[in-house]
Order: sequence, then structure tokens, then C-alpha cells
Amino acid sequence: MKSLRRQLTRELSGVLAVLFGLALFGLYLVMYHKLTRSFDAALEARALGVSALVEQENGRVEVDFSDKILRGFAAGRARHYFELRDTRAAMIARSPSLQESFLPRPPVGATEKALYWNLTLPNGRAGRAVVFLFRPKSADSRPGAVTMLAELVVAVDRKNFDETLGGLLAAVAGCGGLLLAAVFFVVPRVLRRGLVPLAQLGELAARIDAGSLAARFSAEDLPAELRPIAGRLNDLLARLETSFERERRFSADLAHELRTPLAELRSLAECALKWPEARDPEADRDTLAIAVQMETLVTRLLTLARGERGQLLAQCEAVALAPFVAAVWRPFAARAQARGLRVEFAVAVAEAPADPVLLRSLLANLFDNAVDYTPPAGEIIITGNAAGKLQVANTAPDLTPEDVAKLFDRFWRKEAARTGGEHAGLGLNLARTFATAMGWQLTVARECGRLVFTLAAEEKRNGF
Amino acid sequence: MRILLVEDSPRLSRNIATALRRTGYAVDAAADGEEGLWLAESHDYDAIILDIMLPKRDGLEVLRTLRARGRPVHVLLLTARDTVADRVTGLQAGADDYLVKPFALDELLARVQALCRRAYGTKQTKLVIADLEIDASARIVTRDGRPVELTAREYQLLEYLARRRGEVVSRAEIEEHNYDGQVDPMSNVVDSAVCSLRKKIAISDSSAPLIHTRRGLGYVLEATA
Repeated sequence: MKSLRRQLTRELSGVLAVLFGLALFGLYLVMYHKLTRSFDAALEARALGVSALVEQENGRVEVDFSDKILRGFAAGRARHYFELRDTRAAMIARSPSLQESFLPRPPVGATEKALYWNLTLPNGRAGRAVVFLFRPKSADSRPGAVTMLAELVVAVDRKNFDETLGGLLAAVAGCGGLLLAAVFFVVPRVLRRGLVPLAQLGELAARIDAGSLAARFSAEDLPAELRPIAGRLNDLLARLETSFERERRFSADLAHELRTPLAELRSLAECALKWPEARDPEADRDTLAIAVQMETLVTRLLTLARGERGQLLAQCEAVALAPFVAAVWRPFAARAQARGLRVEFAVAVAEAPADPVLLRSLLANLFDNAVDYTPPAGEIIITGNAAGKLQVANTAPDLTPEDVAKLFDRFWRKEAARTGGEHAGLGLNLARTFATAMGWQLTVARECGRLVFTLAAEEKRNGF
Repeated sequence: MRILLVEDSPRLSRNIATALRRTGYAVDAAADGEEGLWLAESHDYDAIILDIMLPKRDGLEVLRTLRARGRPVHVLLLTARDTVADRVTGLQAGADDYLVKPFALDELLARVQALCRRAYGTKQTKLVIADLEIDASARIVTRDGRPVELTAREYQLLEYLARRRGEVVSRAEIEEHNYDGQVDPMSNVVDSAVCSLRKKIAISDSSAPLIHTRRGLGYVLEATA
């Protein structure tokens, strides 16, 4: 599994290790350069000391060599060497420390500018040498006197210098190792600490289940980077809570719708068995009514289930809406009149593609609700335009916007109690399923204290 | 024993009320929460059977209102809601018992009987007054070892007096607890019921009278005069 912490640890540790390595290597190079330069400066000073002892007179070059002045060049356990040659490389003088041996020749020809190189000393040890051409001071101070050039090579033991360099390298490498260890120790811990809020968010999220969907993440306690995530999670929780609540309500409602008639049936039968002599003449009528009620419920639920699975096939044909709607309305007109409702009916001549059976059932459902739920002295307005858009509006002063949002929920009714009666709370859900099956759209809105259902064929199929 | 039944399904309400009346209870029925609350507050019921999903006022709301107003009446919630959360909510709202629909009629009657027993602060099912024995669970009355045949209403009256043995029980109290709204309040139904009960429990000439009249006050059931 991809881990953010592991990936960050790996990358940060790698980058820090490379950066520290480069920095230490740079430091070593600078120190190496500085030390070499100061070693070379000391070597040059020693060479200049030797050159100062060289004199020329009448074309001859001489060295006023004295052990006291050049202690290190004496024979024995000396570490310093020099060779003085003329421009033709003929030996003029050499340090006693050289005894029988010679210094290796410089890799390139000598100039007046000092040239340094590494070499192996006659005693077999590593050394460093400098060579340059110089004009020895002359005893003949006459103007125009001819002076000659001499080549001086001075070599010294570089063991101590190499040891210093080795020590420096060891120190730098040691520091590098320590830094590397520190990086591998500190980075994971710092990251773990830094990512604690993320882990806490994860733990909180893990604790949420179907029973605790009301929980929300508190954005105040979180770092700025995690706040948007917490916000999105909270939005998701809110949506989940709503849909869970809807499902829970549906289950509870379904249980209620099935349990209540079952309880009625059972109590009817038990009463009849317990007290057969006092049989209620209404009992058989009740039994039949309960059976019809349950049958309607089951049929509607099955139709809804089929509609949801897309198994409800509509056989659409051109339907002349004006006479069709009028024919469906006819049986409801008497009921509306009996309830004292004012009815306005104005459906324009139009044709639309519809399944007559489904459309009849759908309209009957809307009309049934309108007639039953419009308060006394309210009005019902049924309209249809030339484009085939139908509207059923009725006075509904008590419905809130929240109610309207729930109208299509299965088993929803304004009144919490649902027992008995004609309305099971499935009609509108079923009406919308029918509309969808025909490729129509059924929408609802609340306008000026009226509940308005709008039914229209969807754009692409309009007018087929 | 007088029971209030608040149930919005008219068929179920009729069946339960019939069953309760046939068992000897006096039953008042309400079809919505508001009527139920009004009845519960205006009468002294021994138990209330309350549906949760009710028009006008939710059953739980009715229950909470009753408890908030300090009514200690025993309440049985009778509802289609069957989840543990629903039961817990119901019991926490102050219900004494919870029964899910559909239910067995016998179970409902037994639970109502248990609630009524609790209403008189006793769990005893057997009541003994001198040689009179009342088995409240089997609803059988014997005197001197011989069974006494009583109607459901007479039995309820006897059990009510027995549960309050030694206390003077007024006619109004008997009316309140043993008769529902269907009885004409001006009738002498209590006196005639007591009279008939007296005759039935006096199984022989030697049987000592157990129900005594306290003139102007009411009746008392006890072993000695």
C-alpha cells in the first residue's frame, strides 16, 4: 500500500543525505585547496631562503651553504632537499641531504614563476617540490655586467601535510556519517509528528458508521491543509445522513404499512376465535378491506421495484391530450364538487407520445391527491398548453418547502399517522416512475400557496 | 380496571377495545394524539395503550407531555416500529412496556393485566380474603374451595375491591375504574353490580359477608365487619 509518510521519509532522507554530502564534499575541497596553498607558500618561502644564499661572481654561481641557516637540508635524517642547476640543467649545487641520489626532474620546464608538483623523495617518502628560475645576486655591481639564470628545485617531505589532509577527510566523512544517521533518525520522527493530525482525522473517520452519521469533523482543530478535506468529508456525511435517514424512514414506513393491517387481521381472527358467540357482522367486510389494502400496497411496491429496475415498459403512442385528460378527470369532478372545490379546466389541443395506461394512472393519482388534500373552498387548476405540457395545481396552504422536497419520498405523508385510508404514500412515487418510463418528466413546485405538478415529455422526444 | 386505548386504525382499535371489554376492562378509545392526551388528563386510567404514529400529536409526544405533567399512569406502547432504537426511545420517553404490531391478543391482555397489577403496587397474582381466593392470572375465583362463576365485569369489580382491601372505595372511584364513557353516569350501575357480586360470592347461608356498605362513603371488602 502506498504510504504518504513512507514516501515522504524516503524522499526527504534521500534529498537531505545528498545535500549534506555535497556540502561536506565542497567543504573538504575548499579546505584541501587552502591547506595546499599554505603548504606551498611555506615551501616557496623555504626555496626563497635557499635562493638567497646563492651568489654569482665572474660567471660562476656559488652557494654559501651553512647548516645553521639550512638545518633541514643537512645530511642524515633530513627531510628537505634542493638542487641548483644552471639553465642547461648542469648541476651547480645540491643539498647534503641528497647524498648520492638525485631529485626527479620537474614534469615541465622551469620558469620564473614557481611550479609545484608531487614526487617521491630519495628516501622513498612522498614529497612536494617547487621549481623556479631566478637570477642569483651578483657581487659585480657594475652596470652592464652579465648575470646568468639558475634553476632551483626544493623538495620537502609531505608526510605531516598528508596526515593533516587525511585527518580532515576523516573528520568530514565522520561528520557526514553522523549527519546521515541524524537524518535517518530525525526525518521519520518529525514526519510522524507532523502527520499526527492526518492520522487523527483517519481515526475519527474510521469511527464513523451507519449509527453515527450525525458526527462532524471540527475544522477549527485541524491544520489549514486538512480543513478542506474535513469540509468535504462533512459534506459527504451530511449527504449520507440524509439518504440513510430516507432509507430508514422508508423501512420504518414499510414496516408500519405492512404490520398495521397484519395486526388488524390477527386481532380480528383472535377475537372471532376467542368469543365466537359475539361475532362482529363488520368482521368479514373488515377482512376484505384489509386484504384489498395490502394487495394495493404490494402491487404498487412491485410496480415501483420494476420501474426502478427499468423493467416497466411503456408502449407509447400519440395521445390527444385534451379529450384524454378530460376523460380521466370526469370521475373526480363529482368528488371535487361534493367537497365544494372550485375547479378550472383548460387543456389546449395537443398531441404527445404517451402510454395511455400509464398516463391514465399517473393523472388519476395527481387528481386523487388534489381532490382529497385541497382544503374546503380551495381550488384545483388543470391546464395544458399546445406543446403538450400539463399542469395540475391545487391550493395547499399548509405545505412547507421541506414538505415539497419530500413529496416524492415513498410513504411520505404530511401527517405522521398513516393507518387506513386510500393514500398509502406511494402514489406520487409511482406517478414519477410512470412518467420516467414514458420518457416524461414529473416535477413539483410551490407557487403562491399552490402546489403545482408539471408533467411534460422530455425535450428530445417532444413531438416525436 | 379502566383502560385508555389511543390507536388511529379504526379496525384495530375496535378489535382491541372489544377484546378488552370482553375481558372485563372498561375501555375509552381515542383516534388521535390530542384526543388521547385530553382523555388521559381528564380521567384516572389504570393503563394506557398508546400507538406512536398518530395524527395531530405523536404518541411519544403525548407520553412525554403526560410524564412532564407528572401523570404516573402505566403506559404500553403498541407500535409497528420494531428497531432496538425505537424501543429504547419509547421506554426512555416514559413507557412501562412496549409491544410491536402484529401481536398476539393474549400477550396484549397479559401485559395490560400486569400493568394494572403494578398500578396497585403489587405483583401478587393471588389475592386471599378470608375463605375467598382470587387467582388474578387465571381470573378464577373460589370461595371455601368452591369455584364462583362471575361475569368479566363482576370479576373486575371484585379484583378492584380486593386490591384495595380494607379501604373504603367510593361509587365514583368504582365508576371511574370499572366503567367507560359508554355507561350513563346517572345510572345506579355500580350499586346493582355490587349487589349482584355480593349474591354470587355468598355461596351458602353460612358464608360471612365480605363486601360491606359504608353509608354515604362507598364499599369496603374485608373479612370482618
